[in-house]
Formats: sequence, C-alpha cells, structure tokens
Amino acid sequence: MFGYIRPFEGELRVNELELFKACYCGLCHCLKKKYGLISRFILNYELVFLSMLFWDSEQEPKISKKRCIASPIKKKNYCTESAAFDSCAAYNVILTWWKLKDNISDESFLKSIPNRAFSFLLRRAYKKAARDFPQFDITVRQSLASLAQYEANDETSLDAAADFFAQILPAAIAEDLPETKSRPMEELLYHLGRWIYIVDACDDLEKDLKGNRYNAVAVRYPPENGKLTKNASNLVKSTLIHSGNLIGLAFDLLPENPWTQIVGNVIYLGMPYVSDSVMDGSWPPHKTKARNGIDR
Amino acid sequence: MNDPYDILGVSSRASDDEVKKAYRDLVRKYHPDNYHNNPLADLAQEKMKEINEAYDVIMRSRESGSGSGSSNFYRQSTGGAYSSSSGSTNESARIRVAINSGNIRLAEQLLESFSTRNAEWNFLMGSVHYRKGWLDDARRYFQTAVSMDPSNPEYRHAMNMMNQSGSMYRRPAAWQTANRGMSPCDLCTAMMCMNMFCRCR
Repeated sequence: MFGYIRPFEGELRVNELELFKACYCGLCHCLKKKYGLISRFILNYELVFLSMLFWDSEQEPKISKKRCIASPIKKKNYCTESAAFDSCAAYNVILTWWKLKDNISDESFLKSIPNRAFSFLLRRAYKKAARDFPQFDITVRQSLASLAQYEANDETSLDAAADFFAQILPAAIAEDLPETKSRPMEELLYHLGRWIYIVDACDDLEKDLKGNRYNAVAVRYPPENGKLTKNASNLVKSTLIHSGNLIGLAFDLLPENPWTQIVGNVIYLGMPYVSDSVMDGSWPPHKTKARNGIDR
Repeated sequence: MNDPYDILGVSSRASDDEVKKAYRDLVRKYHPDNYHNNPLADLAQEKMKEINEAYDVIMRSRESGSGSGSSNFYRQSTGGAYSSSSGSTNESARIRVAINSGNIRLAEQLLESFSTRNAEWNFLMGSVHYRKGWLDDARRYFQTAVSMDPSNPEYRHAMNMMNQSGSMYRRPAAWQTANRGMSPCDLCTAMMCMNMFCRCR
C-alpha cells in the first residue's frame, strides 16, 4: 500500500535477508491460501513488518520451499504458517479494501473504474477478513471516515490529521497481551501510523498540489513554487525523526523474538533512509540509481 | 528472578569486561533520560531495575575473591516532574499534577476551561501535546510560550529539549552501522593496501 516500512538491505546480514524474504513469501502464501489468488497482489511491506512484530517469541520460524506465481520454476523459501500471518493477512485485506473505497470516493467515475473493478474482485476476501476481525474492520472504517471529514474542513493541525490515521494500527494488537507488552506495542504502532501519514503526505505533495487535493503538510506549511520551504522541510523532518525515536524507545521495551534484529533494522535504518529520501525527493529508489529496497 | 546473564544478554562464561560492556550498553538504552516525558517511562524504569539487579548479582557472585565493589553506573530514580514554578496559579498547579501523573485527558480538559491563555497556558498545552506525541503542535505551543515570555528558563528548556530530540536519530548499539566490527570489505581494503606496500619493496 505504501511500501515505506522496509529494511535497509545493505545493513542486513545475508541470513537475515534470506529470512526476511522468506517472511515476505510466507505472508503471501498465507494470503493466497485464505483469500484466493487475487489477494496476492495486495501484499505490502507494512504488513510483513507487522507479522514480524506480532510474532510469538517462543515460535522459531520454520522454512519450507515452494514454487509460486512469481517464481514458477525455481522453488523459493517461505516461512510456514503462524498466527501472526493469519491475522496480518486479514488486516492486509481489510486495509486494502478501505483504501480502495477511499480512493474511489476521491476520483471521478471514469477514473475510478480500475479501482472499482479491483474492489469488486476483492469483495469476498474482504467479507471473510472482516468477519474474522470485526473490531479491526470497524476501526479502519471509522478512522478513515473521520479523517476524510477532517480533511474536508481544511483543518491546519498536522498532528490532528495524523492522529486519525495513527488510531488504525494499534487496533491490530491482540487483546490478550499483558500490559507490559501491549503498551509499548500501542505506542510503537501509533507513532508508526503517524510517521506513515506524514511521510505519505510529503511524498504526495506535488501530486496533491497539482490535483488540488487536501494535503496535511501543505495546509500546515504552505509551499512556495510547489515545494516546501527549507525551514518547513526541516521542521517536518525533525517531527519525523522525533516520531521515529519514540518508535524505537517503544520497540526497545518489547521482548525479543526471532525477528528482533530485522525489525530493529527497519526502525533504526530503513525508516530513516526512507524519510530522508522522501524529503530530499529521491524516493522511490527506482527514480535514482541507488536501490536499497528489496524487490522480489 | 530470571537468569541474570540472560537479562544482560551475555553467556555465563563472559569476561568481567564483557559483562560490564553489556551492562553499560543496556543502561544507555534504557536510561531514564531517554524516556523523559515518555508515557512508557515506568516500564523503562522497571527494566533498569532488572538490569541493575542482574548486574549486582553477577558481580557479587564473581567478586568472592577480588573484593572490588559492584558499584553500578546508574542508581537513583529521576522523576522528571513539572515543578510548579513560582507565580503559577492553583489551576495551573492542578494541571501540572495531572501531566505528571500521566492523566493527559484531564490536563487537556482543565486547559480548555482555562480563562487566560498566557505564556504558561501555552507551555502546558505544549507539554500535553508533547506527551501525546503530537510533536508539531507541541512545538507551536512551546514557541508561543517562549515568544510571550522569553526570559522564562522552563519554557526555553522545553523548546530546546524538543528541538534536540528531533535533530538526530537515536540508534542503539546493535544497529549502529560502524559498530559491527571489521566488515569483509574493510578486510579486503586492508589486504590490498598491504599488498601495495609489499610490491613497493
């Protein structure tokens, strides 16, 4: 969906990179198994990250080999079933569904046809996922609706806009966690959502200005000649760094699990790389020569 | 209590220096200064206590012969409280109590009903937003507080803290890119340099 929450590949060890790829494939296989072929196209990095974060600390990832649509000849490693994949696959479907609905309502009828077609194909998967995780479904729908309303009023608080979006991910936390685990997790996911919202607004700035759409960063810091002023850019950057640091502090209080090293890479190296690239205009990486994202 | 070596993340055969280094890294990670004004400060404090205890247990058990004291680096617990500055009213004192105890909703309600929106009101509003993690708005309020009362050290301190923590990435030892020891590339470069010297002769 966004693709901002990913490891910095250059700083992963070889075995960590293999393991991360296997996790990516594991979630993809889980999506196919539970929600059908179409749902494979919606797999995104944010949910791979959540799978690693929600992983049971007692469970060692089991690796198996399988062919798939993306690699029909050579068998590829993937992580076999886990409770984290089951829930994250459902979250992935629900999030994509509401994002599609959101996009459709923003577009003219003609332009929205591809999204409408896609959401038609996804409707059964969505129904199933929403039935399994009704609370998450309600939170996503309500948060996005409140956000849309807030945006329609052209309000100027960047934090208040980000807050609606930031409410979504904490709803993904399992209810039976002890407080020592659920509180850092909530804090982490709140700021992760906040960070994604602000980075996305920066990333879409040019497009939104052209299309005359609401952009929380542009409303808070009116751009000059289609760009943020240097001062505004520094202030947004420091807000992002600060949020990133709060994510790290919360992460440090969580118990270790088999993915800790990779999750830490995403938080401490991957996300700073992404936000710096977005702010200096070199995102996404295929625009420039340096490729650091992991592509299958 | 869990195995003290597990808590410090070292093997029971680690040398004293290794134990000390692990301890020091953990202290740096969970130090109360990092969690100042953070809603998770109490959890970090718990963690510090656990680490201190583990370190003490290990050092005491190793010490039987050597006799050196097992003084750990960090002991006292800091509150990091908003003290009520002179001249603040009863109302604002209540708000400060609410912020200190983490009752952000109450603090916000009290602030909304506040009659005068002076420098202190802006400062407290900034503190509330800071605690919520609304950093952009927090900065706005702190800035207003400082510009209304530029001589107040408390407001300036808050503004500085805010700017500082947004100025650089915090990165624990395990993810510090330079700390991973000598990489194979460094080794290659070193070998190449040595080769050159050899050829020169």
